[in-house]
Amino acid sequence: MLGFVPFALVLGARASQKGLSALEVPFMAGANFGGGSEFAAIALWTSPPHVLLIVAITLLVNSRHLLMGAMLAPIIRHLPKRKALLALFFMCDESWALGLAEGRKTSSRLSLGYYAGVALPLYLTWVIFTAIGALIGPSLGDVTRFGFDMAFPAVFLVMLAGMWQGVAAARPWLVSLVVAGVTCLLVPGAWYVPAGAISGVAAAYFWSRTT
Amino acid sequence: MNAMNVLTIVLMASVTYLTRIGGYLFLRDRNLSPRAKAVMESAPGCVLITVIAPSFVTGQVADLIALAVTAVAATRLSMLPTVLIAIATAGVLRSVAG
Repeated sequence: MLGFVPFALVLGARASQKGLSALEVPFMAGANFGGGSEFAAIALWTSPPHVLLIVAITLLVNSRHLLMGAMLAPIIRHLPKRKALLALFFMCDESWALGLAEGRKTSSRLSLGYYAGVALPLYLTWVIFTAIGALIGPSLGDVTRFGFDMAFPAVFLVMLAGMWQGVAAARPWLVSLVVAGVTCLLVPGAWYVPAGAISGVAAAYFWSRTT
Repeated sequence: MNAMNVLTIVLMASVTYLTRIGGYLFLRDRNLSPRAKAVMESAPGCVLITVIAPSFVTGQVADLIALAVTAVAATRLSMLPTVLIAIATAGVLRSVAG
């Protein structure tokens, strides 16, 4: 849970520098509750925001929830649908992993109390500390001085390191990086985002067939 | 609150919630193909690296070195020390490069 705090502070601070208000930032954190997608969205945020671009990127980043939800399904089958749908709102990498381990240990039924005890503190930490980040963000001033702007790519690299599953699984990332980098140099605007994301996903699709 | 910001956040939250309940509602009795799994597992990384790609092509040698140092730090350290190293490296290298 403490691991959430610096992520949330960096996200909130960056979001406020991008012009989101101190209410909008915790609203995003609380309604969306998906760190990776929020970092991507804030990195791409403009005034006004490219709605479709941000929503499409959010969908891509969070598509793995489909897999996670499917894996969780057997151990929440005993819950009434209404409760299961509520519990899934709070599913993040951490609550999913702990819930799955606990559910498989205890006769393949996840206890709602255990799950809530894991998920709710994580949720509250995320919302509260993004709000605090949004409040202190404007006082940081020009972030490109001193190298403060490097904090944001650093968070992304930490998230990528956390997703690392070997060189083969990471090859599509390299495709994305190269295509996005080249597109960014040649084409003005945010076109590098769909170009990089789509080419990487296409590479993953292609490579999964040959291996 | 700004209307466009709120609209974007509401739409983001909606698609995110659909991904959360979609697997439980529609995929629970199905076996996903290995290919679908591979795509879903690599997609978030593809998007994250894409979003920070512009900082790799600024043409500033100081930034490139700082990113390389940060990438190495990210594989070995947790988030807070990595961020501090990133900020310090970029700050020092940029002032050296002028």
